[in-house]
Amino acid sequence: MKLALITLLPFLGAVFPVFSIRYGRNACAALAGAFTLAALVLLLGEAPAVYRGEVPAWGVDWLAPVGLRFSFFLDGLGLFFATLILGIGLLIILYARFYLDSRNPMGVFYTYLLLFQGAMVGIALSNNVLMMLVFWELTSLSSFLLIGYWRHLPEARQGARMALAVTGGGGLCLIAGMLLLGHIAGSYELGEILARGEVVKASPLYAPALVLILLGAFTKSAQFPFHFWLPHAMAAPTPVSAYLHSATMVKAGVFLLARLWPVLAGTDMWFMVVTPAGLVTMLVGAWIAIFKDDLKALLAFSTVSHLGLMVMLLGFGTHMAAVACAFHILNHATFKAPLFMSAGIVDHEAHTRDIRRLGGLVTLMPITATLALIAAASMAGIPLLNGFLSKEMMLEEASHTVFAGTTWLVPVLATLGALLSVAYSARFAVRTFLGPVRHDYPHHPHDPPFGMWLPVAVLVVPVIAIGILPMLAEPVITRTAMAIVGGPLPEFHLALWHGLTPALFMSLVAIAGGAALFAAFDPADRLRRSLPRPEAKRLFDSVIDALVAVCRRFIDASHTGSLQAYAGATIAAVVTVGLVAFFDAPHAAGERTPMPVNATAILAWILVLGATLAVITCHANRLLALVLTSVIGLVVSLSFLTLSAPDLALTQISVEVVTTILLLLALNLLPKQTAPEKGLGIHLRDGAVAIVAGLGIAGIAYAVMTRDFSTISDFHIAQSKPGGGGTNVVNVTLVDFRGYDTFGEIIVLGIAALTIFALLDNALRGAAARRLDAMRQGEEAKDAHPLILVVATRVLLPLALTVAVYIFLRGHNQPGGGFIAGLIVSIAFIMQYIASGYAFAAERARVNAQALIGAGVIIAGLTGIGSWFFDAPFLTSTFGHLHLPVIGDVELASAMGFDTGVFLTVIGAVMLSLSQIARVEQRAEREPVPEGPMDNRPQPVGGDAPALTATQGAAK
Amino acid sequence: MAAVPMFALAPALPEIVLAASALLLVLIGALRGERAAGLIEALTFVALLVAGFLVVTQGGERLETFGGSFVVDAFARFAKVMTLVGSAAALLMSGDFLRRAGINRFEYPILILLATVGMMMMISAGDLIALYLGLELQSLALYVVAAIDRDNARSSEAGLKYFVLGALSSGMLLYGASLIYGFTGTVSFAGIAQALQGEGHAGAIFGLVFIAAGLAFKISAVPFHMWTPDVYEGAPTPVAAFFAAAPKMAAMALLVRVFITAFPGIVDQWRQIIVFVAIASMALGSFAAIGQRNIKRLMAYSSIGHMGYALVGLAAGTAEGVQSVLVYMAIYLVMTLGTFAFILSMRREEGPVEGIDDLAGLARTQPYAAYGLTILFFSLAGIPPLAGFLAKWYVFAAAVEAKLYTLAVIGVLASVIGAYYYIRVVKIMHFDDPAGAAFTPMSAGQKVVFALASIVILILMLPGAPAPLNGAALAAARSLF
Repeated sequence: MKLALITLLPFLGAVFPVFSIRYGRNACAALAGAFTLAALVLLLGEAPAVYRGEVPAWGVDWLAPVGLRFSFFLDGLGLFFATLILGIGLLIILYARFYLDSRNPMGVFYTYLLLFQGAMVGIALSNNVLMMLVFWELTSLSSFLLIGYWRHLPEARQGARMALAVTGGGGLCLIAGMLLLGHIAGSYELGEILARGEVVKASPLYAPALVLILLGAFTKSAQFPFHFWLPHAMAAPTPVSAYLHSATMVKAGVFLLARLWPVLAGTDMWFMVVTPAGLVTMLVGAWIAIFKDDLKALLAFSTVSHLGLMVMLLGFGTHMAAVACAFHILNHATFKAPLFMSAGIVDHEAHTRDIRRLGGLVTLMPITATLALIAAASMAGIPLLNGFLSKEMMLEEASHTVFAGTTWLVPVLATLGALLSVAYSARFAVRTFLGPVRHDYPHHPHDPPFGMWLPVAVLVVPVIAIGILPMLAEPVITRTAMAIVGGPLPEFHLALWHGLTPALFMSLVAIAGGAALFAAFDPADRLRRSLPRPEAKRLFDSVIDALVAVCRRFIDASHTGSLQAYAGATIAAVVTVGLVAFFDAPHAAGERTPMPVNATAILAWILVLGATLAVITCHANRLLALVLTSVIGLVVSLSFLTLSAPDLALTQISVEVVTTILLLLALNLLPKQTAPEKGLGIHLRDGAVAIVAGLGIAGIAYAVMTRDFSTISDFHIAQSKPGGGGTNVVNVTLVDFRGYDTFGEIIVLGIAALTIFALLDNALRGAAARRLDAMRQGEEAKDAHPLILVVATRVLLPLALTVAVYIFLRGHNQPGGGFIAGLIVSIAFIMQYIASGYAFAAERARVNAQALIGAGVIIAGLTGIGSWFFDAPFLTSTFGHLHLPVIGDVELASAMGFDTGVFLTVIGAVMLSLSQIARVEQRAEREPVPEGPMDNRPQPVGGDAPALTATQGAAK
Repeated sequence: MAAVPMFALAPALPEIVLAASALLLVLIGALRGERAAGLIEALTFVALLVAGFLVVTQGGERLETFGGSFVVDAFARFAKVMTLVGSAAALLMSGDFLRRAGINRFEYPILILLATVGMMMMISAGDLIALYLGLELQSLALYVVAAIDRDNARSSEAGLKYFVLGALSSGMLLYGASLIYGFTGTVSFAGIAQALQGEGHAGAIFGLVFIAAGLAFKISAVPFHMWTPDVYEGAPTPVAAFFAAAPKMAAMALLVRVFITAFPGIVDQWRQIIVFVAIASMALGSFAAIGQRNIKRLMAYSSIGHMGYALVGLAAGTAEGVQSVLVYMAIYLVMTLGTFAFILSMRREEGPVEGIDDLAGLARTQPYAAYGLTILFFSLAGIPPLAGFLAKWYVFAAAVEAKLYTLAVIGVLASVIGAYYYIRVVKIMHFDDPAGAAFTPMSAGQKVVFALASIVILILMLPGAPAPLNGAALAAARSLF
């Protein structure tokens, strides 16, 4: 409980600064400090228990099903880190109070800072890896806000974004790594994971888990090649740089590696990845640091270098290296934070951080200079300061590390790193504080108020104390290192003098070499300038830009907005997946023997093939394409006939005729040609997709048809006569077995007709109507309404109606029925429209189509309800026989009433659509209503008038 | 055909209420004309609430009607509540936009209502026929809604494209359904599952492929996603907001139900399809979003990616996997509704704006909105400890439990890339200089949805807060197994 409180206190405290700022900046800082102090006191209260070897822990379930627990524990490592975080945090709060002037919104700053602090403490104390992830990302987010605090600076914004992109992205990788780690260990509780190191290392998932976790740790701790974000994050206010980028956040990655050391370290893979990463980072960071003119940039790269050193030590995988790492973390925090703060003081006082414009400050600001010089000397590894001790331990470890079979590589490179660090420390210290006093500082510097140098002084005390009396730090380091390795440590003592060891020799070389390098700064700088210097930020930016450009190009190319391309892609995807499925699944050929091929089948096949090819070649001509498509429909009805389904064939033929004619009439209003198409490549692509898809469908059809399967139609055929009183299965099914469906369908048909009416009605008004009026008339045939056709259709009309009645009546037993009959009547009427013109037919068609539809639906419905009077469910049918003279035996089923409804609705629907199309066409053609009954020509054109009269006379 | 006694219709009561309200409201609209738009909008909202209440009070057991075609179980209830929430929220926040754009026709809420009926029927589908009926009812309403701004060429084009591609995918689905019926001799999901026990047959697998293609179109998963960016961008923003929420939930629920209850015997076959679609969706969603400048298009690609993540959970094929899908979809719904509530309010004096650059400096002009949106975007990016992270964690954990390591790792990597563009938007909001005047104030409905969504995302971080959601999702998932 107490541990949770320690973590939550900064979060609670984060609420107050924003609101307390109105009571002044001191109140604001005091509140922030009070919460931090409270957390620190609570934490130190637990310290005795930890030093007795206990591990206080506490937890409650957060999300039990996923293994996320709100769970904390405190061991030596956690205590060590949390103390660093809170202790330095307290000093930073004090420092920032004086660093930020009244123009900066201080409340927001402290809020962000406390949020960050809480998240860091959370990482240190987490006993659950998932909760640790939560805090991990919180540090990324709050540091994002802190780095971008000076949002008016473009560098701050870019730095913030880059830091978040790199650390946030790394954090997401870490999620995957933790997911795998927890999966291997079977628990997300850190305590249990740490106990199962052997299981983890033996798992086949160890490698991916390790890589992902390292990605998370390396991005956070700015390890090569992810080191580039840290210097750019230095655009943040100095307190932030000092806190986040030297003391705490960047060490989170190191902390994570230390935390998971017992689980992950010790394998070859660990050694081969972590050690070189750390070593290279140490060298690269140090090399760049030497030549930086900006004080903070110099310190930033030196931080990168020191982080590399720590990571390298962890990479060694030995217990003593872990001790050295813990010691160096402590030392680095104590000397680097003061350096950052002094850089901030210099910037604050002299109004510049450019090393070339500084120098001689020691006489102007003696306190700051003294403190900074001590800290810099520690960073350089000068004896009697703590930096020397841990660096020597590092060199000692490096001196007996064998890498890739060579014994000299690591020691030499480690010495080189130490040498470089001496050079940049010297440059920082000497060029800023020593040398002659200048007269051209942008602002005359002097020592700051005590609130700014006090935190520096507080941290410099341990630098000297540990440096002289290393045994002071021994209990802390022992406890911490024990927690890192998760077991007892070999005997060791922190001491100033270990005798004439190789490490001492290496240290001396480093100091001497570093001094020499500093002395030879100018030639070294020339050397650096001659070397290729990849600018990380530019690389990052250009990678991002390239990524954006590639993505944009890809999307522009693939999402063109072209419907054909979309449809093609959809079909191609299905074909591909289908192919994969085909090869994956068992696919034996069917057992059913194919029917013998006869002449009809071949004829039908040729017809379909010919029509298809013709449609492809003539598709630009819409009318022709439509007619050709209807050929396919007719062939289908032919095939129904051959397969002994005359009722289906009849239905198919009549539907085909009606739809084709209606479509022809509608197409008449549209351009006769389709839009011009693009090149051959697109044709080929579409053709290929179509052919492959067609073959696929054919294959599936073949597979289905070569197999025996029982269908529901057997049942319907058997039950048709006994159950429905008819032998026409289709009709019985429509009006009886599935009467409900049919009832629904005729309603839909009616609604569809009404919709067509409404839509086309729109075409007669507004913009659409103006377009109609402006439509250019095509060349009309001279013989628009051929006499023979006119006469023939008029003679046929009563005949067709009679046939329709006949078809309707026989429908229950023979092919026919209300639906087909309705279509035949409709065809008869459509013929009138075609033959005699819209105007003529519309004038005489006095049928109220809406009423027909309504009547049809009502009749059908009433028939259904009728069965209720006989205590039968809706639409139960019965049947009897009636003997009529002349016609003979007629079967009367109650279904016939229902069929009448269908019949009327079909006629109504077709007629309604037709009349509406006719109105539109009439408007387009500006055809006058004719006067005579046989006016089979449009307006007389030119000198045709006598001929017209003659025709009329003849017709009469 | 045996008649269905009235009391047996009780499981479908919410749908019946919605359908009846739709008919009634059409009548009101037809009689009173456009004046009734506001009234109908309010009544539609009430009808959705009533339906939601009826769904919640249906009890916990499994109910069936229409001979097993219509199933109400815990899964259906969960998905229906989410769908209704999506529809109601979309309605609540779009009225203001439509009024200002001059397209507040009374048909709009009714079409939403009809689409919702279709979605609920999809969710409750117990056989292929009910599946198709629900799907088409929903789709037809959506086709019209997509083109509702018919005087706008882009909106009409979007609607037409959606219609043509939707018809194509419906055709595929039907074809698949007929293949399945042909090879198994039944349309009921339970019957199909029984018939496909043991070795799956190629024919049935083809049927599965076609059905999967049809359903993948509805959730806009790659490679059937093409319509999404065009429709989101072309259609009026309220339509995009609606499309992004409820229909996705319903289609995902349908997909889960079909695959889990009808094809448990050939899980290895459909898992391949789902894994492929999931990876493609996650990758495309992440990469394609990077180059976008229009926030609606960005959300379109984002939704494609999110569907991919949700499918990762389905790929696991376990109860935990289904649970993770449901949790994911619920959280996705909240995030996307909240984000769209804000996008709907992006309007200056001269009219609505849609550019991502228009968000510049939002933190200074409208700090509360900026913080809310920041929360939503970080959550969309899946950054811990926001709810979006929780959702992603669930699906990835389910995938890992099912030993789909590659899928889980690819998923995480895709979300790393995806995080880039969400963070970019946040950076633009917080650090860039304001691009223009502040947006006009949000309407009340937008405020409610936006604030609620941000708060829910925040609350879900608290210990114990997601437990009810998890519990409900788990109960829902178990009801399928």
